[in-house]
Amino acid sequence: MTGIERIIFATIFIAAILFFLKNVFRLFAILCLGKWENRFDHLWLRLGNLIKYGFGQKRVVAKPFGINHFFIFWSFMTLTIVYVEFLIGGMFPKFNLRFLGDIPYGIILSVADVMSLVAIVAILIAVTRRTFFRKKSISANFEAYFIPSLIAILMVAYFVSNSCEASLGNLEFIKWQPVTASLAAYWNGTDPHTIHLISRSAWWIHAVVLLFFLNYLPYSKHLHILASLPNCFFKSDTLVSTVPLKQLKKGEDLGISKVVQFTWKDILDFMACTECGRCQDVCPVSQTGKVLNPKGIIHECKLNIFKNGDVIRASRPKDMLASAPLNAKMQIPLVNGSELSVDKEALWGCTTCGACMEACPVFIEHAPKIVQMRQHLVMEKSDFPHELITFFEASEQRFNPWGIAPTDRIKWAMDLKVPLLSDVKQAEYLFFTGCAGSFDSRARRSTNAFARILNQSGISWASLGNEEKCCGDSQRKLGNEYVFNKLAVDNIATFKKYGVKKIITQCPHCFNTLKNDYKQYGIELEVIHHTQLINTLIAEGKIKVKQSDDNKTVFHDSCYIGRYNRILDEPRDILKACNGHSPLEMAKNKTNSFCCGAGGGRMWMDELPGKRIYHERTLQALDTKASTIAVSCPYCMTMFEDGLKEEKNPGQVKVRDIAELVADTMIV
Amino acid sequence: MSTIPKRPRGTILLLEGKCIACGARCQSVCPVDAIEMNEKGEPIIDTQTCTICRKCVKECPVDAIENYLTPAEKEQMAVFETWKASAAKQVSKEPKAPKEQEQPVAKKPEEGGIADWKGVWVFVEQVNGKAHDVAWELLSKGKTLANDLGVELAAFVIGENIQHLADEAFGFGADKVYIVDHPTLKSYRTDPYVKATVDLVNHYKPEIILMGATGLGRDLAGAVATQLRTGLTADCTGLTIDKVNRLLEQTRPAFGGNIMATILTEKCRPQMASVRPHVMPKSEFIKGKKGELIIEPFTLDEADITTKVVEIISSANKGMVNITGSKILISGGRGMTSKESFKLLEELASVVGGVVSGSRSAVDNGWIEQPRQVGQTGKTVHPKLYIACGISGAIQHLVGMQDSDFIIAINKDKTAPIFSVAHLGIVGDVFEIIPALIKKIRESNAIIVQ
Amino acid sequence: MHVVVCVKMVPDTTQVSINPETNTLVRDGVPFITNPYDTNAVEEGIRFKDKYGAYVTVISMGPPSATAVLRKGLAIGADEGILLSDRVFGGADTLATSMVLAAAIVKIDKTRPVDIILCGKQTIDGDTAQVGPGIAQRMNISQLTLVNEVLSVDEVKKSIKVKRKLENYEEIVESVLPTMITVEREINTPRYPTVPGRFVAEDSVIQIWGNDVLKLNVQEIGLNGSPTKVSKIFAPVRDKGEIVMGEGEQQPKAITAIFDKLVEKSFLELK
Repeated sequence: MTGIERIIFATIFIAAILFFLKNVFRLFAILCLGKWENRFDHLWLRLGNLIKYGFGQKRVVAKPFGINHFFIFWSFMTLTIVYVEFLIGGMFPKFNLRFLGDIPYGIILSVADVMSLVAIVAILIAVTRRTFFRKKSISANFEAYFIPSLIAILMVAYFVSNSCEASLGNLEFIKWQPVTASLAAYWNGTDPHTIHLISRSAWWIHAVVLLFFLNYLPYSKHLHILASLPNCFFKSDTLVSTVPLKQLKKGEDLGISKVVQFTWKDILDFMACTECGRCQDVCPVSQTGKVLNPKGIIHECKLNIFKNGDVIRASRPKDMLASAPLNAKMQIPLVNGSELSVDKEALWGCTTCGACMEACPVFIEHAPKIVQMRQHLVMEKSDFPHELITFFEASEQRFNPWGIAPTDRIKWAMDLKVPLLSDVKQAEYLFFTGCAGSFDSRARRSTNAFARILNQSGISWASLGNEEKCCGDSQRKLGNEYVFNKLAVDNIATFKKYGVKKIITQCPHCFNTLKNDYKQYGIELEVIHHTQLINTLIAEGKIKVKQSDDNKTVFHDSCYIGRYNRILDEPRDILKACNGHSPLEMAKNKTNSFCCGAGGGRMWMDELPGKRIYHERTLQALDTKASTIAVSCPYCMTMFEDGLKEEKNPGQVKVRDIAELVADTMIV
Repeated sequence: MSTIPKRPRGTILLLEGKCIACGARCQSVCPVDAIEMNEKGEPIIDTQTCTICRKCVKECPVDAIENYLTPAEKEQMAVFETWKASAAKQVSKEPKAPKEQEQPVAKKPEEGGIADWKGVWVFVEQVNGKAHDVAWELLSKGKTLANDLGVELAAFVIGENIQHLADEAFGFGADKVYIVDHPTLKSYRTDPYVKATVDLVNHYKPEIILMGATGLGRDLAGAVATQLRTGLTADCTGLTIDKVNRLLEQTRPAFGGNIMATILTEKCRPQMASVRPHVMPKSEFIKGKKGELIIEPFTLDEADITTKVVEIISSANKGMVNITGSKILISGGRGMTSKESFKLLEELASVVGGVVSGSRSAVDNGWIEQPRQVGQTGKTVHPKLYIACGISGAIQHLVGMQDSDFIIAINKDKTAPIFSVAHLGIVGDVFEIIPALIKKIRESNAIIVQ
Repeated sequence: MHVVVCVKMVPDTTQVSINPETNTLVRDGVPFITNPYDTNAVEEGIRFKDKYGAYVTVISMGPPSATAVLRKGLAIGADEGILLSDRVFGGADTLATSMVLAAAIVKIDKTRPVDIILCGKQTIDGDTAQVGPGIAQRMNISQLTLVNEVLSVDEVKKSIKVKRKLENYEEIVESVLPTMITVEREINTPRYPTVPGRFVAEDSVIQIWGNDVLKLNVQEIGLNGSPTKVSKIFAPVRDKGEIVMGEGEQQPKAITAIFDKLVEKSFLELK
């Protein structure tokens, strides 16, 4: 390496590093624009997550092609070491890592040698895939080929340069570098001067591409290389099952209308997105041809924060690392208005089923962002699909979604022996019936079945009767935090009045809300889903069932007990106890279950253009050739009933709540 | 003579569950302000301040306030009652019982004696010279009332070129017909019609005026009653005469039809009541019956009227359908199975004079357009008649239509929830029932009542 | 332009039921709400504000708790709320109610001339549709009842053109201002209050006018000024639902059942 070369390289290197640092600083400053949120607790847990999901790539490898990514990731991790040596060596040719000891240094070199080859193979596979077997959710744009090309060039240049040096006999550790050694033979017979020239050219290509790559990252989706490891570290320490509690006070933001109202972690989410499309693949709304695409929302938010963030930063050059001012003017609106904005229709399409969050390899939290954007539309703008006005008003005035007289709530219990807390004052379990279970004639049948089970089991239970109010799930998911808050406060006061500690719900929406949302109000309740309780009752012999021989029942996991609360085995165990067989399984089951379409307040809205979600899921259930679809949620029940009617086979295939199936076979 | 026993005082109490929150009548009669109203609109009686005058007890229309007596006081009361009875026997000319001692609160000085007001009047509502049937129904009812009171039954007609209606009124039982005929009265406008009516009433002083509770009738009745400063009871379903006091007993639904109330206009005349069409039966028309025709002069300058009718739009040529305003809805659901079968509903709608609507699934399937959707995410309707065809009645649908006046449901499944709200439920196949019904209506030559 | 909207707080009658054993009203847990027709009147008032920049005053006569219904109006954009509350106003029928409301509007008119008075078509507890006309007559202004569309307002000529809905036809009527309008439910869909709107409403001061302010003759208001008197209240006889089987041979019977009902309920008339 000549002195001029060294000077030129040092200049490029320093410029590139400075530019890189400037970019990193810009990203950090943009993160700082967001609101503060504490994600620095439970550091050991976070470290574990970083190892498991970041370095271990646990979620990435859950899909077949993830292995490919795993190899690319690890080849980069190892190559980083030799690339550092390479870059320093560019300025100080004497520098190498041999001071670590011959053997460790040899190991480093051999790993780098092998991993470079692995990287080339993996890149080829990736390119082949996106060219010939591309999923719709992955885009095949310029960047999709540009970046793999850069990586390939990097690797090829590495081998060319090294093999040339090897053939010139300049590599002392060649016996540690099997790939390079075998390639070196290729240069046999070539003029050493030419070899040297090729080697230097390859070295320069490698150096320039490497420094270019470093600086191209922040401007491409490969920003994830920088952001996804921190995102795994800062991931929520619990399942993301709700939205943060909103302070409904004057002067506070009532939802998100500007991208800078997101927290820094939300912004990190935007940066961490690789556009891998896994969220889109599992999203029931995207998959039925509607506007919503979770990947799209995150991507639009990312473009939006970059555009608006740069403008804000430029407007206050002295105050780089502060949050955005409350009155910050946005160049680009967050919702509707440009290509860098989220589509309003997409926001209303979401069923908050959480499949996207379950699938995301880097733990992006989509649903709370969507809900918070809805909050602004509902609470500050009263801008929502017109059919929701009845729902909101009914919820506020009559404490149920339909606007039925609250005095009719207890009517479900008319023909049963149902103890009321107002009479018995105390009971071990409160059975929180829920609105559907109280008012919907179909859901009432499962409520009755469950009440019969409770009575049979002999446990101490009671109902709130007409004192119960809607739990507020749909209202909250639709962004109406105001009405949710009223309902939650009232219900919690009632719980406290009777000293309620343990609550059974049959509706997964009530379950999740009482368990995870009400916690934000400082009340700790032991919330039990009826499938959990029934399972325990059977296991403890408190109720006995007459086992049949039925292997034609399929079980559908409701999002809010399955994915959000990991109640997966209990319903299956119950079905096994009743039927003598484990239930049939749909391809999409357990935590990967496909939403019925009713969550997130979609129950109260008209279907959007595209295929119907409930119909899609019904077809999936029918594919198993089941004669009974077992559910554990009144919304899913309604959706399957509708789906079956549409398939014109009323009566042949039945939809039954687990409680109904148990009550039918229960020995009284 | 023995000592006079004391009447026990007791306490004034509100009886649990009986108050209907009528609007603080008890509070307003209390002479000592001992009553406050709570959030539920029920009285809280301050027993310290209360003088046990029992005015609230008498005023309460539902006997929710009681003069409570302890057992000891009850005994004392029994003694008092016995004494009173015997005292009444002994002194037959004793002053009247406390009940009659109550002072009449408001007597309108300007109107002279109530006894001056005589006769039962019926307003004959007409549009373009054609009378509304409700007028003839009211004449039929008015005849009974007039007979009970022993007075004349009169009809009054307001408009332009409407004298031919007099003969019709006679045929339906009017003894007299008053006509106000003037160009300013051609089409209905509140002010000239009010002036015409008020002038007539002040001139002839009828004791009872009945009007149809139609849009026009209610507009006029409310205005006239205010001008005359008298009582008006809307939408009566029952009208009878208290022969002793010569009062019109006006019974009407209140509280959204949950209770019935009988209302009296004791101290003002005329006693005005409106009745909805088709509530009272219409008697036979007697052809050639005659009576006294009085043509009342009327002057009014068009320039003095502040309203003008610009245009009349008949409902037939309305472009957009508004199902919330429709009187009759024929609604189809998933049981209709196809877009084609909604033509059947169109046909039924045409023979009963209704409009077609549908459930959410009918809309989702594209059988009918969204503006016609009834239910949670569609429109809430309360037509006079709702015929649900092939609608099972999911809760989302029921909340949108259950307040309809009359509901007929046709469905194959006899456990369908729609039957829980239906007044008439038919368990059967819509594709058999509806064509047969259409055939029957056509063959009967029945006509649609407007 | 100044629009005064009259609203009433009513018990939610759809939630009232009758105890079949005691024949009394079950009112437990039945909330008081804004009369639904009045919500359309308030919305129409706010639309005058949106379109013509009108100042909107909502007024109500009722107990002190009725400030809640006024605040609902303020939450969607009304500028001012006035509650007419006094024990001498209590027990009023429609005639006595219109007396107080009209007096209040006349008083309001003195500080800010009133152009349009809006009322709901009727209330759900009384169903009389009399208070609106009562106010108009007492104030000696024109009345436009059953309006289902406001077509135009001429601010210079001080006139308004509306569509009224009668049973079998609609009519377009023009009237000079001021006028009193009662609205049909179909005239609009009331907007949903925003949360900042609710905050404004919560912070607003609602004036309470008693008879010390209105100074009306106590013989003409409240129970004393009410010519009608409830003498008796009783539970109605209800139509029980009837189920007729209409399959196969039973079909003609079912057809007859429907047909007879259509005639009995006067939807059809036999010639």
